[in-house]
Amino acid sequence: MLAATNVCAHSASNGFVTLTVSDASVDGSLELAIRDGELAVGLDADTDGRVTWGELRAQQRAIENYVRDRLIIGAGHAPCHLSFAPLQVNERVDGSYLWLPLTAACSATPRQLNIDYRLLDDVDPSHRGLLVLTAVGATQTAVLGGAAGTQSFSFIRPDPWRTLRQFLRTGVWHIWSGIDHLLFLFSLLLPAVLLRREGRWEAVPLARPALLNVVKVVTAFTLAHSITLTLAALDVVRLPSRLTESVIAASIIVAALNNVFPRITDRWRIAFAFGLLHGFGFASVLAEMGLPPGARSVALVAFNLGVEFGQLAVVVAIMPLAFAVRRTTFYCRGVMPWGSTLIACLALVWLFQRALG
Amino acid sequence: MQASAALPRALTRGRILPAVVGVWWVATTGLTHASPYTPSADAQILAQIPAGARHAQLPARRLARDRIDVALPLARIYINESRTTGDLRMLGYADAVLAPWVGPNSDSADALILHAAVLQSRHDFSAALRELDRGLRLRPDDPQAWLIRATVLRVLGRYEEASLACRKLSGRVSVAVDTLCEQGLRGLTGELTSAYAALTDLPTHTMPAAERAWRDSELGEMAVRMGRDEAAERWFKDGLASAPEDFYIRAAYADLLLRQRRANDALVLLMGKENLEPLLLRIAIAQKQLHDPGLAASRARLNAVFAAEHQRGEGLHRREEARFLLDVEGEARAALIAATDNWQVQHETDDVLVFVQAANATGSPQAAAAALVFVRENGLEDARLRNQGERL
Repeated sequence: MLAATNVCAHSASNGFVTLTVSDASVDGSLELAIRDGELAVGLDADTDGRVTWGELRAQQRAIENYVRDRLIIGAGHAPCHLSFAPLQVNERVDGSYLWLPLTAACSATPRQLNIDYRLLDDVDPSHRGLLVLTAVGATQTAVLGGAAGTQSFSFIRPDPWRTLRQFLRTGVWHIWSGIDHLLFLFSLLLPAVLLRREGRWEAVPLARPALLNVVKVVTAFTLAHSITLTLAALDVVRLPSRLTESVIAASIIVAALNNVFPRITDRWRIAFAFGLLHGFGFASVLAEMGLPPGARSVALVAFNLGVEFGQLAVVVAIMPLAFAVRRTTFYCRGVMPWGSTLIACLALVWLFQRALG
Repeated sequence: MQASAALPRALTRGRILPAVVGVWWVATTGLTHASPYTPSADAQILAQIPAGARHAQLPARRLARDRIDVALPLARIYINESRTTGDLRMLGYADAVLAPWVGPNSDSADALILHAAVLQSRHDFSAALRELDRGLRLRPDDPQAWLIRATVLRVLGRYEEASLACRKLSGRVSVAVDTLCEQGLRGLTGELTSAYAALTDLPTHTMPAAERAWRDSELGEMAVRMGRDEAAERWFKDGLASAPEDFYIRAAYADLLLRQRRANDALVLLMGKENLEPLLLRIAIAQKQLHDPGLAASRARLNAVFAAEHQRGEGLHRREEARFLLDVEGEARAALIAATDNWQVQHETDDVLVFVQAANATGSPQAAAAALVFVRENGLEDARLRNQGERL
């Protein structure tokens, strides 16, 4: 008789139920720790305190009957009939589990599943079934068993138009609130209406070269960030956010300083190279929102389009103004060098903040 | 698991390509789902079954539903098993055999008090106190009930009430247990030095092994909080000598070694104990200090344990999770969230420590203000906290 210690070890008793609903049927598996299997139906035939593969195999029928009694899957009003495949073993970090593949044949295509999980409830009320249910591309999780009783899961296909509108809006909003992206772009576009002659900026005489400059920079930026946005959003490539945010800040410095000390005349190259990293920045927003499963491509394309529309809107609003005032001293000697310097300083502050966290 | 060992070797031999491939492999296998297999030999052993977890005992469990004189001893066996081995499933089994006897009309103080012990081990402290109240109404002087009550209240940081519960023990338990209960609380409320002296003076030659281990554990913890690490180490060593299965002492001793950066000694102490999650945590911290390649496997296991707990919606190991996030994963913000959640449930000295450490690590020490107020109000002394203060 002593005071109980307050430290608990060992994981709790978990079973794992994985179900995938397709048009025709519900397929999946049930996993139980070998230990829990022993408690449920008895596996250690020679009572030597160890369960071997041979002993587990021999209890295929007993395990099937046990599961049929205690895992009730229903769709609508009638329970689905469970059938099983031969047992396998799955190694998890806390030991070996028996893996029982199962199929639930339901009378109609299920739009909703009712699951009643009662395994081990008479001998270990702490046992739970951790459910992962995938239907119409969407995944739901739940904890079965305990006092929860029968739980219902319904699946609705997300409306693609709604998804399109939602992510389009998000894309536009993100570029309009993304000062760093806009500053980068505009650092590259400010000199689009000028040309460099004898160490000075001079107004470009005609509209066409200016337009060409704008198109080249915007297209390069758009292409680059679309590529990396897609790659990152689909989890093909991943970069740590601290790195990308810092490089985005650095890109603004490069673009802005290039206006004060012009080195690179083909600014579309800067737009492309750094545009690749800006794409990762956009992707982190999407990651926070989460792409809706079952409508991932729609969401991704819509977001990208939103970014482009938003970008285009700002360019179309500002560039004609820049063209109009390109001859003024205010623009050539004011906005260009001093505005760029200001932008570079601001970006330097961001760089320190982001790099040093 | 093999890739993580191969990776450092590949890098040290200067072969970058296999290293890159290795990283990619580890990254992708981390993302893939479970992959079941069919074992090749019937004789392959899949699992050990502890005594007490056999299907053959089903008739006894069934009998326990109708016979309280079968249920109570069986529950005691399960609870003791869970205490010595840390096996959580045993608590579930105890729950099952006690369930018919602890309903709303229960008239068995024994069943209610045993049930309270189960609830306490599961950190369901308010339910444990309610159950103890019910048991004490039936048998007001039950020493086991008062002892469990004192322990629960101590964990909750309700020291005055715990002290009252300890006082109910006098005359009904051995002098050692009485002293341990009382002095343990005094040591938390500003009388650390004199409480330490009082426990050191306890005569040990008549003490049963379990009480001696409790005394060693309490003295070790007090010595740590007094900043006397050498004395603490002696107490922990003595404690493990009388009770080698006591994972609480082993964990506290490992913490001391890790604080002194004696990670190799910690690994020796914890060898073979990877199956107990609080000890696995200390193994992982030691492996991190030593840049040991086994760290990847430990991290994977601990991540899986905490993930399953989150999925179950239970927070049994929140304190361990906070330490894991802080000391192994380096995720200070997530550690602070876990430590804050943990503080809502329990107020032991280790809960204070991890809370303060996590808050400091995120650069906002005021986030742990609640813990610091608690320390000040109770006069809780802890040398480990003083070091935290200096870091500020």
